[in-house]
Amino acid sequence: MLIKRTERQARRGVLAQGLPGQSDAGLDRRSFLRRSGLVAGGLAALGSLPLASVRKAEAGPPAKPGAAVTIRKNVCTHCSVGCTVIGKVSQGVWIGQEPGWDSPINRGSHCAKGAAVRELVHGDRRVKYPMKLVNGQWTKISWDTAINEIGDKLNAIRAKSGPESVYWLGSAKFTNESAYLYRKFAAYWGTNNVDHQARICHSTTVAGVANTWGYGAQTNSYNDIRNAKTMIIMGGNPAEAHPVSLQHLLEGKELNRANYIVIEPRLTRTAAHATEYVRIRSGTDIPVIYGILWHIFRNGWEDKQFIEQRVYGMEDVRKEIEKWNPEEVERVSGVPGAQLERVAKMFATEKPATLIWCMGATQHTVGTANVRAFCIALLATGNVGSFGTGANIFRGHCNVQGATDLGLDIVTLPLYYGLVEGAWRHWCRVWEVDYDWMLSRFDSKEAMETAGIPSTRWFDATLLPQKEVRQKDNLKAMMVFGHGGNTVTRMPKAAEGIAALDLLVVADPHPTTWAVLGERKDNTYLLPTCTSFESDGSRTASNRSIQWAEQVVKPIFESKNDNEVMYLLARKLGFADRMFKNIKVNGTEPVAEDILREINRGGWSTGYCGQSPERLKAHMKNQDKFDLVTLRAPKDIPEIGGDYYGLPWPCWGTPELRHPGTHTLYNTSLHVMDGGGTFRARFGVEREEKLADGTVRKVSLLANGSYSLGSEIRDGYPEFTYGVLKKLGWDGELTETERTTIERVGGKNPDGVSWATDLSGGIQRVAMAHGCIHYGNGKARANAWNLPDAIPVHREPIYTPRPELVAKYPTLPNAVQFRVPNVGFDLQKAAVEKGIAKQFPLINTSGRLVEYEGGGEETRSNKWLAELQQDMFIEINPADAAERGIKDGQFVLVTGPEMPAGRACRMKALVTERVGKGVTWCPFHFAGWFMNVDQRSKYPKGADPIVLGESVNIVTGYGYDPVTGMQEPKAMLCQVRAA
Amino acid sequence: MTAFLARIRAAVGVLVLLAAVIAAAPSGAQQKNPDGSVNPTASAVREEQLFKEMDRITGRCTLPDQKACTLEQPAGRDWRYFSQVTLPWIGAIAILGMLAVLVLFYLFRGMVRIEAGRSGRTVVRFNAFERFVHWMTAACFIVLALSGLNITFGKDLLLPLIGPDAFTTWAQWAKYAHNYLSFPFTIGVVLILLMWIGGNIPNRTDVAWVKEGGGIVGHGHPPAKRFNAGQKLIYWIVVIGGAAVAITGYILMFPFWGGTSIVGMQTAAVIHGIVGVLFVAAMLGHIYIGTIGMEGAFEAMGTGTVDENWAKQHHSLWLEEEKAKGKVEAPAGRMQPAE
Amino acid sequence: MARMKFLCDADRCIECNACVTACKNEHEVPWGINRRRVITINDGKPGERSVSMACMHCTDAPCAAVCPTNCFYTTADAVVLHSKDLCIGCGYCFYACPFGAPQYPRVGNFGSRGKMDKCTFCAGGPEADNTQAEFVKYGTNRLAEGKLPLCAEMCSTKSLLAGDGEIIAQIYKERVVKRGYGSGAWGWRTAYRETIAT
Repeated sequence: MLIKRTERQARRGVLAQGLPGQSDAGLDRRSFLRRSGLVAGGLAALGSLPLASVRKAEAGPPAKPGAAVTIRKNVCTHCSVGCTVIGKVSQGVWIGQEPGWDSPINRGSHCAKGAAVRELVHGDRRVKYPMKLVNGQWTKISWDTAINEIGDKLNAIRAKSGPESVYWLGSAKFTNESAYLYRKFAAYWGTNNVDHQARICHSTTVAGVANTWGYGAQTNSYNDIRNAKTMIIMGGNPAEAHPVSLQHLLEGKELNRANYIVIEPRLTRTAAHATEYVRIRSGTDIPVIYGILWHIFRNGWEDKQFIEQRVYGMEDVRKEIEKWNPEEVERVSGVPGAQLERVAKMFATEKPATLIWCMGATQHTVGTANVRAFCIALLATGNVGSFGTGANIFRGHCNVQGATDLGLDIVTLPLYYGLVEGAWRHWCRVWEVDYDWMLSRFDSKEAMETAGIPSTRWFDATLLPQKEVRQKDNLKAMMVFGHGGNTVTRMPKAAEGIAALDLLVVADPHPTTWAVLGERKDNTYLLPTCTSFESDGSRTASNRSIQWAEQVVKPIFESKNDNEVMYLLARKLGFADRMFKNIKVNGTEPVAEDILREINRGGWSTGYCGQSPERLKAHMKNQDKFDLVTLRAPKDIPEIGGDYYGLPWPCWGTPELRHPGTHTLYNTSLHVMDGGGTFRARFGVEREEKLADGTVRKVSLLANGSYSLGSEIRDGYPEFTYGVLKKLGWDGELTETERTTIERVGGKNPDGVSWATDLSGGIQRVAMAHGCIHYGNGKARANAWNLPDAIPVHREPIYTPRPELVAKYPTLPNAVQFRVPNVGFDLQKAAVEKGIAKQFPLINTSGRLVEYEGGGEETRSNKWLAELQQDMFIEINPADAAERGIKDGQFVLVTGPEMPAGRACRMKALVTERVGKGVTWCPFHFAGWFMNVDQRSKYPKGADPIVLGESVNIVTGYGYDPVTGMQEPKAMLCQVRAA
Repeated sequence: MTAFLARIRAAVGVLVLLAAVIAAAPSGAQQKNPDGSVNPTASAVREEQLFKEMDRITGRCTLPDQKACTLEQPAGRDWRYFSQVTLPWIGAIAILGMLAVLVLFYLFRGMVRIEAGRSGRTVVRFNAFERFVHWMTAACFIVLALSGLNITFGKDLLLPLIGPDAFTTWAQWAKYAHNYLSFPFTIGVVLILLMWIGGNIPNRTDVAWVKEGGGIVGHGHPPAKRFNAGQKLIYWIVVIGGAAVAITGYILMFPFWGGTSIVGMQTAAVIHGIVGVLFVAAMLGHIYIGTIGMEGAFEAMGTGTVDENWAKQHHSLWLEEEKAKGKVEAPAGRMQPAE
Repeated sequence: MARMKFLCDADRCIECNACVTACKNEHEVPWGINRRRVITINDGKPGERSVSMACMHCTDAPCAAVCPTNCFYTTADAVVLHSKDLCIGCGYCFYACPFGAPQYPRVGNFGSRGKMDKCTFCAGGPEADNTQAEFVKYGTNRLAEGKLPLCAEMCSTKSLLAGDGEIIAQIYKERVVKRGYGSGAWGWRTAYRETIAT
């Protein structure tokens, strides 16, 4: 029976000789070209192009005998977990992936996407060379032509409509360096109309969390969840969106026998492993959280000491909570009181407890309020600022955290400095560019300091009458660098918007939905940019750890990396010299390390100042030294001793100070030089409160008797400035260089130079030397008085399935927000009056599939992933399906309240009890079918994704968060009928 | 045979269960919290318990091929037992048994002679088309039989002799032949059905024929029309057996076509195998009687004509009918004008 | 010698399909062939569990027993492999396999299914280790390099374990003791005629 290997070799059968590809030759880059039929076709299209400029990277392990195999370490380009990707490269070809065992984040693991990333640089369906539409046909052009034509058109638009008419849509898949450079580019161009995916993913988180305790990021880390005794996952499905995070969650659950509570409208793969599953109605997060808090306060389970010392305004919230007795909570959300009482008890008494959320919480008209309610729940139970606790916000894309930090955002310059004059002056100092020149780039000083248009509203800014768009002119051009066109709601409007643009430029490895959505004939360009695997750079994972990724292979085909494209455009537009003044450019490719060093020089506010490229590279080299749970390296290791993995921001001071980074934010049990901290004193020192009797009292906003370990000031204290240092008598500890820098920055008012604008890092260094954190020691705010709802209030979605609740819980009044009107109130009123909920009786909500990511072009073009999800589908409950005569797997037609009459989206029905009765769910990654029309022919030949399908955002409608312009795709309505 | 019946029972049982599974997915015993809500961890489905409820475990998967969503089908084990134990035994007993019977019969009875000797006058028994159909089907059958037997017995009988590479080459070609010759074979069976059904409806004559042992056992000459009861038996074996192997064969050849499940295919393979080996055994008997078993029989399918005395001995009623139609020819030598 | 086995801890599996694409990536398995797949039982209901399944490399493997050309062989590590040179694509192993492991490149095409393909436990085939010839037919041979199957190595939650049966059984047992629950070693009874007491 047993065939010996040797025996078999000796007598190879005749059939064996007939099989193809038998030679032991292996593959080098050149032979891929000859082998690949696809490239043969591509070559014909390229005409006389020299071979060397078209490099087709295809796999073909094993390596040629004797050929060297090198290992390159990069980071997965999909979600925010930040899994290390190990590439085996031989002769310039990525021949295989190995598990990155040493990474404390993923310990070798991947999800379907991470385990398939090598396909991205096979690139069968990538954009292979620059193209433009000529009378509706995609035509190959050279890079020079592309940059020249685009530059000329941009200048023409600028001359006619001003710089604000060009929208710079960036990407959460940029490296930190590219994100920063893109924001800088927009500033040099003269607009704040620059945004990226964070708008539609966690913008409300950032706003809500930052307004509560200082910084808008995950407070702890995936790894730290291992310490939790209770974890609530609310509005998130990390099993599909962040699969590797489940390693930490499930192991933590097992080791601690932790409570693992999932609060969701849908029984997800995450919920399948829960110890408690709470099914809620979409859009009722605030009632549910208040329902939990009602039990907590009723039973005295709140953390009284924590609230007393570190929280402002909890009493105000209690008044609102009183309204949410179990009956009202059940009436609005459908959750029984007894279950919430059990959850409340676990969350408040089985500590440490953490709250994990994703887009189920954020993507709502009440997104910011939801997030605020979550933070309040954490504050009320003292579950923030220590190990195993915290707001564990799972960000979306691989570098959405970094791109947010680096200011790909309409409301701020890099690192949350905002748009005020001081912020501009800070960055002008870092960039060594004249402030007045910068001002001259904008339409006006007002435009320079006014937040831009959110990416969710760009088409409104294109289509609305000019006077309704509060800037010089409508949007005329979209510059889209790495952003899908199908992840934003109201796609039928977006299609109109695309058609109306004067110029559309898509710089992406794939054509994306932008290339096919609107009816365009000309003035549309595709620029092939490469993936992060083909470039060097750092990326910030959700837990704020920054990981340096090295180029695995050179950019394939004619693609270039984002930095190079930005350089070429800047050169064409005439500001490259100013923009790259302190950044070395090799040929036309800016050096990533230099960009990071510039970030370090300006990133004081958020602690992006200590993560030099050298330190980050040392971390990647020594990944195995970091502890799985604490993420810390032992003190005695050279280069990295005592550091937290990836120097999670804030990593204060200069790199030479060797701050270890901050694993858990606001953690008072650690010295600041060990990554400790307090809540940020960001909102002033005290606040005047108007009392019921009309009198006014002043309330301190500084911490009360709480301080971080080793602090010499044993109480709350305000932010540090040079003036404060002087008052404390610590200014003498500044070095001469530091003092000179501070005085140079301060000009006439050196005392006003703060820890965030001090380019020397001296104020930070001295404050920390005394155990103090320079951003101050304040209270977190349960009452965030500057927000539209200072105390979170439940508000029904615009298209609510419960119109009878609108009278009691209406959405906010109409207002102009971010240069465009938000008419949600009118629409909600009209929807109730027209009986929309009867015509569209099913709740429509959306989410992620594990196989795909974001708009999905990249992953739907990956044959290893696409095979696993070949059809767009809608999940529908068996009861609803039976009413409509729908069988599992059949095609159905889905309509939404804002879709054009008579049109419908055709997708497959997945009849399942994952969704409750009256609820449907769709993945949001599909595109390429538009209301039952297959758009495959509109893609450039050979660059169409393998799998196409209807986009759920054709069905979604209006609804925007007033604080950030976040869209509402999670609580929509639809109707489904058999096709 | 009991094993076979058990297999069929099992197969039917699986089908019934499958229907039940489709109707109601496995419930599992859910452990509930005191207030009635479910603790998903404590209520996890368990393999052991699922197997108590059903024979196979199926679920949901994202692949478009829903058959990939079967997690486990331990029935494959039973099928293995059938293909490796039951079928070889049935085949060996049937085929070797038939050969043994034929050898013994030949030794005791010898060739059945034309008792009256050859008359020299011939009667047309099968026309050219009939003979073509017969031989087409027969030739296909022989190849199908050998290539089929190779699947069950080849690795034990042939492989050790010729080695794996040669055996695979042979088996591969044999498989192609088996697949492609199935088409002419099937056509042949259909034509046989249509051509000869008229003479093959059982009737009273057959009872008498059987009672007299068909003239093979003993020396009687029971009357028979064109086809006697023995030939009718072969006819129906060919038609029904042929249909059975053809249908099951096509099920196997077009996997999952028309909604066949893996259970369906296993069942098809069981039927195909058993009918196949019995068919071979039956055809051995047919070949025997058409060749060395009976003088003058081969000519019927060879030249298409039989001697009048042969016809008189074996198909007296048919001969009379033919004579009545004037279809009996004089021997060639005496073929002279009467007048 | 080790006795290689797979064990999928269903209480960890989240149907992330990393095992599926890791396999595709490592061996460049073509579209339509699924050496490994993940199946969810009781989908959408409390108690739902997902299980990753591939060839279990059975003890006394049914596929090997029914193969008319004896193209299967068991390595010293108890990995069940086959020779595509000897396979005639008859489909018998597919009928006999309790786990749906055998795959064919051309199902439904006149019964000419092509050479059977299945999980090799990342151990290649009869050709010389890690040659192009071996790769083209069976994929890479990690075992020969001292590495374990990539599906298990890349599993997002360390649910899928691959390696010596005794070791992975021990890991699983410890997990169950620690956490207090376990839905069993799926497929073990069928594949190995043994189970892990939990």
